[in-house]
Amino acid sequence: MSDKVQLRIVDRMRIIRQSRFGSFVPVLLALAVIWGYFGLAMPLWQYWTSPDADSVNFIFLSSRNIYNLFMQSSVTATLAVGITVVLLLGDIDLSAAATAGVCAALLGVLALVGVPGWIACLIVLGVGAMMGVAQGVLIAYIGIPSFVVTLAGLLGFQGLMQKILPTGNLNVDNDFIRGFARILLPDTLGVMLAVALVAVMAFAVMRRQALRRARGLEGDSAFVAWGQLVFVAILVFSTVFVLNSYRSVPLMVVLLVGVTALTGWVTTSTPFGRSIFAVGGNSESARRVGMNVKRIRVAAFGIVGLLAALGGIFGASRYGSVSYTAFAGGSLLLESIGAAVIGGTSLFGGRGSVWNAILGALVIGSLGNGLDLSGASAADKLMFSGAILLLAVAIDAISRPPGLSGK
Amino acid sequence: MTVETHSTELPAAPSPHLRVSGIQKHFGGVHALQNIDFEVARGEVMALVGDNGAGKSTLMKVLAGAHIPDEGRFWLDGDEISIDGPQTAAQKGIQIVYQDLALCENLDVAANLSLGHEPTKAGWRFLPRFLRPIDELEMEIRAQQAIDQLEVRTLRSVRALVGGLSGGQRQAIAIARAVGAKSSVVMLDEPTAALGVAQTRQVLNVVRRLRETNHAVIYISHNMRDIFEVADRICVLRHGQNVATWRTAETTTDEIVVAMTRGLDQGGKHVR
Ligand SMILES: Nc1ncnc2c1ncn2[C@@H]1O[C@H](COP(=O)(O)OP(=O)(O)OP(=O)(O)O)[C@@H](O)[C@H]1O
Ligand SMILES: [Mg+2]
Repeated sequence: MSDKVQLRIVDRMRIIRQSRFGSFVPVLLALAVIWGYFGLAMPLWQYWTSPDADSVNFIFLSSRNIYNLFMQSSVTATLAVGITVVLLLGDIDLSAAATAGVCAALLGVLALVGVPGWIACLIVLGVGAMMGVAQGVLIAYIGIPSFVVTLAGLLGFQGLMQKILPTGNLNVDNDFIRGFARILLPDTLGVMLAVALVAVMAFAVMRRQALRRARGLEGDSAFVAWGQLVFVAILVFSTVFVLNSYRSVPLMVVLLVGVTALTGWVTTSTPFGRSIFAVGGNSESARRVGMNVKRIRVAAFGIVGLLAALGGIFGASRYGSVSYTAFAGGSLLLESIGAAVIGGTSLFGGRGSVWNAILGALVIGSLGNGLDLSGASAADKLMFSGAILLLAVAIDAISRPPGLSGK
Repeated sequence: MTVETHSTELPAAPSPHLRVSGIQKHFGGVHALQNIDFEVARGEVMALVGDNGAGKSTLMKVLAGAHIPDEGRFWLDGDEISIDGPQTAAQKGIQIVYQDLALCENLDVAANLSLGHEPTKAGWRFLPRFLRPIDELEMEIRAQQAIDQLEVRTLRSVRALVGGLSGGQRQAIAIARAVGAKSSVVMLDEPTAALGVAQTRQVLNVVRRLRETNHAVIYISHNMRDIFEVADRICVLRHGQNVATWRTAETTTDEIVVAMTRGLDQGGKHVR
C-alpha cells in the first residue's frame, strides 16, 4: 500500500524533473528547508522554550544576514559554476580552489608591487585559464584521468601558493580589486536591472511561443512557460528588495549572475555547449559525429581555470586579504564541488546546470551560516554538511528520469 | 536451381550502387576477409549473413571506412572511388549504424539527430560557429521530418529524452541519424538483436521505408525470419569468404543455413 503511494510521488517527481526547469526543484526545496529551519523554526523554538526571551529573534532571515550570505556564497558559487562545466563532461576538477588561491596570491603580489588593479585582474584571469588548459591537455591528450591530474594540481598549486605567499597572508587594499565587493548598485539601478531582466525573459518567452506557433510546432504549455517566468521574477525581485533593504545589490553579485548567465547560455544554447553535454553523455557518440572530444575537454578545463581565477579575485576583494586557509588550504574546494552536486549536477557527466550551482552554493552557505548563528561547533558543521550533501544526492538519485538510472 | 547458377554470377539485379571487389583484410594472423566481392543497389535491402566470426561486421566497417582493407577496389555508381576513412565514406553517403547505437541518452531526440551539425541562428556571424546560438526550432523541424520520413509512429515527441525511449525507438533514432546526413547507403549491424517482437517489427518497418526512399540498405542479422521478411537478396559469408548470393524469393531458410554452416558442396570448392 504505502509502497504504491511512494511510487506515485516518485513518479510525479520524475515528471517534474524532466522539464528543464524541474531540475531546480530539489535544490530549492533544500534551500527552503534550511531557511525554514534556521529562519523560523529555531527562533520560534527558542522563544517558546526560554522564558526570559521577550521577542522572537529572526537573525537568520534578517536582510543583513542574507546580504552576508550572498557575499559569502559568491566565491563558492563562482568556483561551483566552473566545476559544473567539467562535471558535465564527466570529469572532475579537484584543483579549482588551489587555482583560485594561486591566482588570488598572484593578484595580491601584483597589486602590492603597483600593477594597476585591472591589469592585475586580467593577468590573473589569463594565468588561471592557462593553469586549467595545462591540466586539460594532460587529461585529454596524454589520457591521465582528471581525478589524478587535478589531484596533482591541487597539491602542486597549494605548494605554489605557499611559495608566492611565504607568510601565508597578504592584505589587498587596491581600490579596483576591493571594488567588486565594495561597490554597491544604487537601489533604483538594482530594481531597474531586475525589471529589465524579467522583461527580457518575458519577451523571450513570448517570442519563442509565437515562433513555435508560426512554424507549426507543438507549443510549450503556456502554464509552464509563464509559471517559470513568474517564479524567476519572484526570485529576482525578492532578492533585490532584500538586498536593498540592508544596503543594496553588490557589484559582485551582479557579476556572478552575469557570468553564470553567460556560462549557462554557452552550455545550453551553443554547439560548443551541446558538445560538452554530448561528450558527458556518450563520448563515443560525440567522436563518431565528428566532434573533437580532446579539444572540447581542454576548453572546459580552460573555463574552470578562468572561473577559478575569477573566484580568487572575488575572494581577495571580499576579504581584503589573501590567505592560504581562505583558498587552497580551506574548505572552499569541497564546498564548491558540493555546491555543484547539491545543485543536481551528475558526477557522471551529461546532466546539470550552472544555475543550480549558484543555488547549491547558497544551500552550503546557508547551512554554515545558520549553524554559526546557532553556535554549533566546527565538528557539527562538518557533519551537517556531509548529511546535506548525501541527502541532496539521494533526492537526485530517486527523482532522476528512469532512462538515466545508470548515470 | 543448382549450385552453379548461384555461384558463377550474381542474380540479375538493378545495377549496383556500391560495389566492392577483391577485399582482403588481415588482423594480425587472422585473415578476416579473403577476396570478398559484394554489392548493393539502390532501393534494395541486401542481407549479409554468416556464422559468428564470418566477417560480416568487418566487411561493413571496411565499407564505412572504419577499417582500411589490405587490398580491394570500390565503385560507386560505376565510378571507382577510394575510401580512406569514416569521413570520406560519410561524404560519399555511406552511413553505418553500429551495434551499440552510440546515442546520447541525456539529450533529446532532436539534439541527437543534429548532433555535430546543429543549425545555428542567422545574424550571429560575428561569432565563431561553435558559439553561435543553436536554432532549436529548425532543429526540431528537421528532426520531425527525419522521423516522419521513416514513419516512426510510436515516438510522441522529438523533445523526449533518448534515455527514456524503448530499444526499438532508439534503433529508429540511430537509423534516422544515419539517414539524415544525406546518405545513399545505410548499413545496419544486427539492429534487432536485443529487441522484442513489437520493437523488431518497428525496426523492420523502418528498413522497408529506407528501401522505399531509394536507399541502398545492408542488413546484418542472425534472425532468418527477419531476413526473409525484409531482404531482397541474401549474401552469405563463411570464414571470411564469399559463399554465394541468393534472391530471397528463390531460396529457403534451410538452404541459407546450410550455406552459412557448411558452405556449398559440403565445404569443398568455393566460388572465386
Ligand atoms: N579489430 C579486430 N582485431 C582483431 N581481430 C578482429 C578484429 N575485428 C574482427 N576480428 C576478427 O575477424 C573475424 C571476423 O569478425 P567479425 O566481427 O567481422 O565477425 P561477424 O561476422 O560480425 O561475427 P558476429 O556474428 O559474431 O558479429 C573474427 O575472427 C574476429 O575475431
Ligand atoms: Mg558482428
